[in-house]
Parts: sequence; structure tokens; C-alpha cells
Amino acid sequence: MVVSVRSWVANEGGKHLILMLWLGVNTWLFIKTYLMYSTGQQYHYLYKMLGLGLCISRASASVLNLNCSLVLLPMCRSLLTFVRGTHTVSSRKTRRLLDKSKTFHVACGVAICIFSVVHVSAHLVNVVNFSVSYSDDFPALNLARYRGEDPKLIILTTIPGVTGVLLVLILFLMFTSSSHCVRVSNYEIFWYTHNLFIIFYIILMVHMVGGALKYQTNIETHPPGCLRANQSGTEQQGEELEQGEDEERRCREEARFQPHYPQTWLWVSGPLCLYCAERFYRYIRSCDPVTIVTVIRHPCNVIELRMLKKNFKARPGQYIVLNCPGVSSFENHPFTLTTCPTQNKETFGIHLRVVGDWTDRFTQLLLPEPRTDLEILPMVQQRRYPKLYVDGPFGSPSEEVFNYDVSVCVAGGIGVTPFACILHALLDGWTGFRLQRLYFVWVCRELQSFYWFAELLCAVHHKLWQENRPDYFNLKLYVSNTDSLQCMSEEKYRPLTSRLLVGRPRWKLLFEEIGKTNKHKRVGVFCCGPKGISRTLHRLCNSTRSSGTTFEFNKESFS
Amino acid sequence: MGKIEWAMWANEQALASGLILLTGGIVGVAGQFRGWQFAAYAVAAGVFVCLLEYPRSKRSKGTSVERTGQYCFTVCVKAFGPLTRNYYVRAFLHAAICVPGGFMLSTVLGCVCLGIASLIYLVAAIRGEHWEPILPRKEVRKPVTESIKNPPQNPPPRPPAEMRRKRVDDLEGAAYDNPISVTDD
Repeated sequence: MVVSVRSWVANEGGKHLILMLWLGVNTWLFIKTYLMYSTGQQYHYLYKMLGLGLCISRASASVLNLNCSLVLLPMCRSLLTFVRGTHTVSSRKTRRLLDKSKTFHVACGVAICIFSVVHVSAHLVNVVNFSVSYSDDFPALNLARYRGEDPKLIILTTIPGVTGVLLVLILFLMFTSSSHCVRVSNYEIFWYTHNLFIIFYIILMVHMVGGALKYQTNIETHPPGCLRANQSGTEQQGEELEQGEDEERRCREEARFQPHYPQTWLWVSGPLCLYCAERFYRYIRSCDPVTIVTVIRHPCNVIELRMLKKNFKARPGQYIVLNCPGVSSFENHPFTLTTCPTQNKETFGIHLRVVGDWTDRFTQLLLPEPRTDLEILPMVQQRRYPKLYVDGPFGSPSEEVFNYDVSVCVAGGIGVTPFACILHALLDGWTGFRLQRLYFVWVCRELQSFYWFAELLCAVHHKLWQENRPDYFNLKLYVSNTDSLQCMSEEKYRPLTSRLLVGRPRWKLLFEEIGKTNKHKRVGVFCCGPKGISRTLHRLCNSTRSSGTTFEFNKESFS
Repeated sequence: MGKIEWAMWANEQALASGLILLTGGIVGVAGQFRGWQFAAYAVAAGVFVCLLEYPRSKRSKGTSVERTGQYCFTVCVKAFGPLTRNYYVRAFLHAAICVPGGFMLSTVLGCVCLGIASLIYLVAAIRGEHWEPILPRKEVRKPVTESIKNPPQNPPPRPPAEMRRKRVDDLEGAAYDNPISVTDD
């Protein structure tokens, strides 16, 4: 598959532009601070004492300031959901960039780690130089108390040293627990260590208190280098005296030094306050417990949960985060909404697949007697339901399905949930959207999984046929498990059985077909499923297309 | 809620601390700072810790993702048997390794990080976890069972030849019942 420039630019251009911009700002800041410390007059004496370590440590410190302030912004999920919702503010391109907010957070985090290493190494060299090149000329400039003081003592007895050590330890804990395998296996470790960030920021803001590095305040009256002219009595007296007389007039007083005031809080306090406000808002919003209206058991280990909450508004494609104190007080799990509250019906619902210990325990609390047969059994036992808190809704890439002329939704297994909400919205009224055609591809391992939304799919199909738009909804179902063949025997599911194919879908052919029927259009591809499918689709979207169609890839993922 | 596998986090931390120790040691030796012998020790200790911690353990529940190229390391580490299986041994080993790193400035960070990793390994050991090698699953070929029955050695019992000769004139009378049952009920 040859990568086409136009498709690549459409898919990856925005992301890479932001990346270049961010790298550019970091580089510019690093170089600017480096030059300020290496050539600035007010740092002349300090530079002579410490050398290169001074410039590198201060330059990396300014980059760290920038990244520590930027790293919090992508995590303000409610704010991003709000920005996504206001179409007048942002265009579709900007909203597509919001999908990559977590990637940006990771990039800033990695930059913080790398530059922390640089900063710490440079400061270690500085500490050694403070001790070795103890300045007798300018005692105010020294950090060490005497020449040759043990550097470890300097670190442990000054505020910047102690806070620096604590910051590095916290950063180390946060970094090692945020690797992919720890997140996948033990999300709690990741979550609890990452919440140490608040301590990190508080210590960061007091890191500069104590003023280890000082700058000279009286440059006009004492130009740097003039003292040497006064003192160089023994060497090169002839030449120096002529120059020295000139400077002697200018060198009127002793050099005076003053420490920098801590600057980090200027950078960091804004985003930190924003993030704390966001967390507070989310906490307030999720304070009311929801009322569980119905619990329905579906085949293949899926439970549908219908809930009711006051003042809960959601758009199709958004997700919520559930917290059930009866299962675990501190665990929060995200689930995509499969039905949003509308004017007619105020309940909203999720479909959750029982796959881990939290969902297992949650299902046991909801349905006390587990049945082994596969019928759909609605059970209405209000009194026994556990207390449940819902945080959200939060925005996701799937909200953009309605903003393309043609959309392709590819779902793998339980990944169909965001698209189920979209279909419900179409059922309520399909005429109001920009969307003119929807291709729906659903790949499941077992045939029984299609029963989760069989009625919904048939209802949408029938409605659009009756309203004379048979080309609007194009459904393709695939069963990837070819070993045991079953069939959907019910007559009412005829539209599904006639569109059911056994085996994995051939994506290239599918895309060619879609491209041929939608020439020179911009097609939005939405994928929610396993990594294999999303990688293949991403590559296909970036490759050349003879029909002139541009496929824009949008991926939905949680962890 | 649920069992947290502390060993996995401890493994990540120990690997990272090994790298930090190695880096600090290299800087110390290259700069020939005071006490560079500790830095040389830190290089060796860092390499050892990295080699020990590179192969990931198999998770007790769920899928284990192994690091790239970890198979040869797994075989080496497995060869030490109970020494590497037990996490108490690892915890005390890391605690012992990290102490000399504290005497030199460039290796202090690696020392502290390895100390934290050793504490978490202790927690993992108290919780009863142990190291399991991730070995490639051998494809167990189902042995050809006795399902293929022996083909019959003898022909089915038939009446003598003169009875079997086809009687064209009386086809109805030519039909006969087998004296011995031909089905294996």
C-alpha cells in the first residue's frame, strides 16, 4: 500500500503540525535561555564559576516549566468536551486534534522526564563546581559554605536540593508506573501514583525558594570584568594599566547579587488551577447517585444497564465513567453510552461486557442469580440495586460521525457501543444531520453477539427503506469464527442474515468499493475495535486511492 | 479491589533504576570524579540488574506481554531456579546492591530508585508472588487416537454361492435374511 501524500496530509497533517510547533517552541526556549545565561552580563561571574552546567540547567529548567504547564491541559476532559460541543468555536480539523489529547499529554510527560534527567545532571555538575570553585572574590555568589564542601551535603541542606530530590523520586514513581503493561494489568497502581502529581506541583513551586543562583544587579556601575583590571597587579602590568585606567573609572562599586524570585508558579499555577477546578466540577457533578431502571442480560456475557439521572444531557458517541462503591470505592471505569437521553425518553443506557473482576462483581450485585441460558431476561427488582455514581459525559471521536457527508463505522465486538448510540439518534430523526450515507461494518467472533443490537439495526434499516432512502444505511456483518456455523433463524432479522458474511472482512476491497461509489468526497472512517483492525484501517486510509476519495481516520480508544 | 500484581510494577522500577545506575556510573567513571571506583561498581551493578530484570514474569491471571527479545534472558534467569523465582531473594539482593551506590554523587539517584524497587519487591514477596518464565507455548499435537477403527478382516457372512447366484426369474424370492447379524449392535 503506497502512502499518498494527500491522504497522509489529511490524516496526519494536523497532528504533525502541532508536534512541530511544540518542538519548535521547546527548542526556541532552550536556546534563548541558554544564550541568556552564557552571554548575559548579569550572569558573567556565575558563569565563570559554574561553566556550561549553569546554562544547560537553566535552559532545561525553562523547558520543564513550559512542559509542566502544558501537561495538565489535555487532561481537562470536561473542558475538552465543551470545546468539542461548540461547533461555532472550532472547525472539524481542530476537533480532530482533540482526539490526540492523551498523546500530547504523554509527549509532554516524556519531555519532562528527559529534561529532568538533563536538568539533574547539569545541577549535579553545578554543585560540584560550587564546591570546587568556591569564590573568595564574591562570597555572596557561593552556595557552598566553604571550599571543598561535600556536594552531597550541599544538596541535602538547601531547599532546592531537598525539593529536587523529592521531585525526582516522585517523577520516577509516576514514570515507571505509567508504562503500557502496568496500565493494562494494574490500572490502580498507575492511577494512584499519577495522582501524586499534586504533591509534585506543590514541591515544584517551592523548588526555587532559597535562591541558589544569583544574578548581578548593578551592571552599569560595576561592569563584569572590571575587578580583574584592579587586581591584576603582577601580570602584564604594562598593557593592562592602560586599559585598566579606563575601566577603573567605570568600576565604581562592588558587585551586588540578588537571587531570582521563583518563576515556576507563573507558568504552572494557571493550568493547575484549571485542572483542580475541573476535578472539583466533575466531583460535584457526579455527587448524585443514579437510579438504575432496568438490567438486561444479553448473550455473550453482555449486560445492558438503563439508568436515570437528573439534568443529564449527552450527545451520541460520548462516554461516562461509572463508580460503584459497593464493588470498589476508588475505581472508575469508562463505558460508552448506547442510548442517550432524549426529549421522549429520559433514560440513558450502557452495554458492558463482563471481562474483568470489577465488571464481574458489578454484575453479581446487579443480577444476584446468574442464569446460564442465553435468553434475554429483563428483571425489575428495584430494591436490590447497588448505589452507582456516574461522571461525565465526556467527548470522544465518534461524535463526528454526523459531520461528514459519508461515514464508515467499523466496530469490533463490543466496540459497537458508540455506534449504537449514533443509530438511535438516526432512528429518532435522520434528516437533520449533514450525514448522507453511513457504512456500518460490524465484525464479531460469534453470531450470538449480533443479538445485542439486532432490533436496532433492523429498525433503522426498515425506517430508511420506508422513507425512500435505501442507500443511506449500508450494513455489513461479519462473523470471524468460522468453526461452528449457526444461523439467525428469526424472520424479523432477515435484513441482517442477508447481509451476514462468514470470515474476516477484506478491508482493501471494501475501501475500494466505498471509494468508487463516493468519488472525490471526504469520508470519515471511525474505528472502535482491536488494534489489528485499527492499524490496518489507518494504513489503508493513508494509502493512494484512484477514485480521489479522501478517507479521514478517527479512532476510539480508552486506555 | 482485586489482586494487584506488585511484582510487575517492581520489575519496571528495577529496570529503570538499573539504567539510571548504569548512566550514573558511566558519568562517574568518564569524569574521573572523586570516588570513581564506586562508579565503576555502579556500571557493573547496573548491567547486572538490567539483565536480571529484563525478562518479564508471566502474569497469574491474564495475558502476559513479553519484552522484545526476552526469550534468551528468560532461559538464563530460569536456570538459577529458586534464587530468581523467589522475590524475597530479589528484594534483599537489590537492597544489598544499591548500598554502595550511595557513596558517590552521580550514583545516588540510582541507589535510591533501586531501594524503592526493592521495597516493592518485598511487598510482592509478602503477597506470595513469584517469578514465572514466559515460555513459548508448545503446540501439543493431538495424538492420533484410536478413533480409526480397524477395518474388518473378514467379509460379511453370506450364504453359500449357489444361493447367492442371481435368480433373474424370481427376484422377490431371491431376497434372503442374514443368519448372523451384520450390524454391530
